[in-house]
Amino acid sequence: MRNFGEWRWGIGLVVAVLVLGLPVPQPQAKPQERVFRVTARQFAFEPPVLQVNPGDRVVIELRSSDVVHGLYVEGYDVEAVAEPGQPDRIVFVADRPGTYRLRCSVTCGDLHPFMGGKLRVGRNPWLWKGAALALWGVTLALFAARPRTREGGR
Amino acid sequence: MTARFDVLRYPWVRRLVVSRWPQYLVRVTLLALFLLAVLVGWLGTPVGNRNFAIVGVWIAWWAVLILVAVPFLGRAWCSVCPLPLPGEWLQQGSLLGPRGRGGWSLGRRWPRRWRHIWLQNAGFTVLALFSAVILTRPGVTAWVLLGLVLLAVGVSLVYERRAFCRYLCPVGGFIGLYAQAAPLELRVKDPAVCAAHTEKACYTGNEQGFGCPWGTFPLGMVRNDVCGLCFECLRTCTYDNLALNIRPLGADLAQRRGAKLDEAFKAFILLGSALTYAAVFLGPWGALKDAAYDVGAPSWWGYAALLVGLSWVILPGLFSLGVWAGRPRLSWRRAFTVLAYALVPLGLAMWAAFSLAFVAASVAYVLPVLSDPFGWGWDLLGTAGWAWRPVLDGWLPLLQAGLLALGAFWSVRTARGIGAIWGWPRAVYPVAGYVALMTGGMLWLLLG
Amino acid sequence: MKHSHALALATLVFLFTGVALGPVRRWWRNREVVEIRARMPERGGFSPKALTVPAGTPVRLRLVSDDVVHGFAIGGQDAPVVDLYPGKPVEVTLTFDRPGTYTFYCTRWCGPNHWRMRGTITVEGPTTPEPTSPPPLYVQLGLDIDAPHEATVVPQERPRAFRGQRWASRIPPEMQTVEYVRTHAPEEVWLTLRALPATADLDDQQVWDLVAYLWRQATSREALAEGARLYAQQCAACHGEAGQGDGPFAPQQVTMPDFTDPAWSFGASPALWQGKVLRGGMGTTMPSWGLIFTEEQTWAVVDYLWTFSMDLEPGFPSTVP
Ligand code: SF4
Ligand code: SF4
Ligand SMILES: [Cu+2]
Repeated sequence: MRNFGEWRWGIGLVVAVLVLGLPVPQPQAKPQERVFRVTARQFAFEPPVLQVNPGDRVVIELRSSDVVHGLYVEGYDVEAVAEPGQPDRIVFVADRPGTYRLRCSVTCGDLHPFMGGKLRVGRNPWLWKGAALALWGVTLALFAARPRTREGGR
Repeated sequence: MTARFDVLRYPWVRRLVVSRWPQYLVRVTLLALFLLAVLVGWLGTPVGNRNFAIVGVWIAWWAVLILVAVPFLGRAWCSVCPLPLPGEWLQQGSLLGPRGRGGWSLGRRWPRRWRHIWLQNAGFTVLALFSAVILTRPGVTAWVLLGLVLLAVGVSLVYERRAFCRYLCPVGGFIGLYAQAAPLELRVKDPAVCAAHTEKACYTGNEQGFGCPWGTFPLGMVRNDVCGLCFECLRTCTYDNLALNIRPLGADLAQRRGAKLDEAFKAFILLGSALTYAAVFLGPWGALKDAAYDVGAPSWWGYAALLVGLSWVILPGLFSLGVWAGRPRLSWRRAFTVLAYALVPLGLAMWAAFSLAFVAASVAYVLPVLSDPFGWGWDLLGTAGWAWRPVLDGWLPLLQAGLLALGAFWSVRTARGIGAIWGWPRAVYPVAGYVALMTGGMLWLLLG
Repeated sequence: MKHSHALALATLVFLFTGVALGPVRRWWRNREVVEIRARMPERGGFSPKALTVPAGTPVRLRLVSDDVVHGFAIGGQDAPVVDLYPGKPVEVTLTFDRPGTYTFYCTRWCGPNHWRMRGTITVEGPTTPEPTSPPPLYVQLGLDIDAPHEATVVPQERPRAFRGQRWASRIPPEMQTVEYVRTHAPEEVWLTLRALPATADLDDQQVWDLVAYLWRQATSREALAEGARLYAQQCAACHGEAGQGDGPFAPQQVTMPDFTDPAWSFGASPALWQGKVLRGGMGTTMPSWGLIFTEEQTWAVVDYLWTFSMDLEPGFPSTVP
């Protein structure tokens, strides 16, 4: 078995950091305004996933079909609160690519803490970087890192 | 043998673990909090995120357990767990160490044919089936907690030692499996000393302490799953022959001895439940949440089929196909068993990544609830009115991606170790494929 | 050794007593507070639903929601509305000076049966003569508010008050009063105006604009704003934000009018509409607001309802924020 010396750990880590720093190409579309009519119910948003391109102006009109719900966009820190018959609206520019969770921000029953959706701005760089990093990890483990065993490893 | 560092060489550490007081104080405090949780679950507000039973147990305790205790300290939670405590007191007839008289237990030996963790596997699965209800309804949580304590008391009164912990506790099996990856272990220093010692005080007990409550003989111990870090053997051993070692991560996983089929299945149950939970609790699919919550409804049966099918059939089935494709020299069953331990690091990483997101979104409930545990309008700490906001939202994806990649790396590396031990180097390829699949799935569920 | 066991036991007892103190403290404090819990109507609404309190003495209420956001208010009173967020109790102290029965109700939508979520407070004490208020207009007029009121003539397009203003001088002064408007349906008013020689040179639509002008004169911007607020809070969940009968709870209701439909709207007088609001619909699921809205509030809502079929004032009806 090859010896996995200190310096190889170093290389492995440097490559891992480089992988994390890789740019992830984003869709190059002209920014536009995107209006979503989102309906909240216990315990889901409809539509649950909002897809936009980086730079788009996002308008979310929140309506509720049962009780008071909120819609909080993680990462953009904006919130709408709607009650049946009383819609609310938030407007923001989705300038940072990534996948951001939408969460209900007003307690609306038992499953409230799990009520959510997603806002996808372009491609989520972390998904791709995570995949590349995992692939690098698997490769490293397959071909370079000497395994650790308790007895008779070699 | 790789490097070990015995922390007991520091006298203050030794005093801290050998003295009964620190452990006792932590345990009774946790037991008091546990009783508080049961009481609040019944009497407090039925609103989960304002109730201590839910927030204290499923957010605070869970976060500490999965993000700190298990990955870094292994079974350390079992060392201070309040669940078996009332039963132990009755069984031992004492609050604090041996008193020279017996307790109130029949002291039977746990039946031989139940000496495995299949019951724990089943218990964990059953709890997972009802998790959407248990996690959100304080009353249900209270009954589950109380039920576990009563079961532990009952078992202690009939059987010897901590049979509940070792064979029944639904959390115990999970901690035991993942504790094998932890960088902390209790082991004998010099096997020769034990071999020569005829009394085996660590197993039988003496006036300094009880015989191993987990029914483990330290000399024969090769993996962390059978040691609850209760430190009794440190108190009883006449030759000071036990060490509390810091060790490399994952040290138990790649070795010849101690691999068991029941535990191997636990690995798949945990993978399956991590994937299911990520989809149900963090995914955007409302119908899935409803299905998990509407216990007894046809859609719930669908959810149950998904969870059980994934954990007990699909994931192990897929893995055994991989094992078969790797053309093992061992019997298929044996090969499946030893190789499944390679999935422990990835499973732990998947649970940590899932829990990070879950906890980051809910940790903001902790301070308000500590200030008003019952949801009765108190404000003990002045934090009852703090607004909910998720934390860590910028760092979460990086942490999750990093954790999963690390888990994948470490799992494949472990697989290579296992392959080396059994003279089966090809074993690593199916594991690598399997790991890539699981990691990809979890990445997509969490970050897609 | 004996010694340390005693100490261990003492620690145990101390900690458990601490835990038990929570419920004890609450029991002690609850002697002086009345707790009203709010749940979704399908799960019981308010409990208790009926309270009896003495007149003139302050009552301490602890209000708390057990599931979703609810609200608490007392009908016909100016007392502030309280929002009840789940698991966050709110304490209010109320004093009722005059004996009688008061209705408390939920102010935030909490499901299709939200409007059923009500309760009563009976205030006991020596009865002082109540100031007698006249019966509502629809009773005075003897209107059958359940009778069909389809309009036979309708305008081609929405009547517009600002256009009607141009010919306002053609309207006889006795028609230009709030009382006149409230007691007549737009259709009747149009027929009356149409028959006047003064309007002979106007076309039919222009006469409709005159009707709108009259309706505008019978209300105010403030009343419309108040009506819009109340409508959004209490009515829009069934009747729809735009009055078209398409709110999220409309499908559960027996009948659901379209306020923008002139045939439905123009055959009824404001007095008749107020009657429906006050009494609610027998046989339909329209709640009664007589115990909840004040007199001005009912008129404000009724005034606002007309903005769904006529242009009375820029900005009304108000749509999505
Ligand atoms: S008491 Fe100590 S020396 Fe004896 S068998 Fe147990 S651990 Fe070994
Ligand atoms: S081996 Fe020692 S520390 Fe581990 S459970 Fe047994 S007595 Fe406790
Ligand atoms: Cu919600």
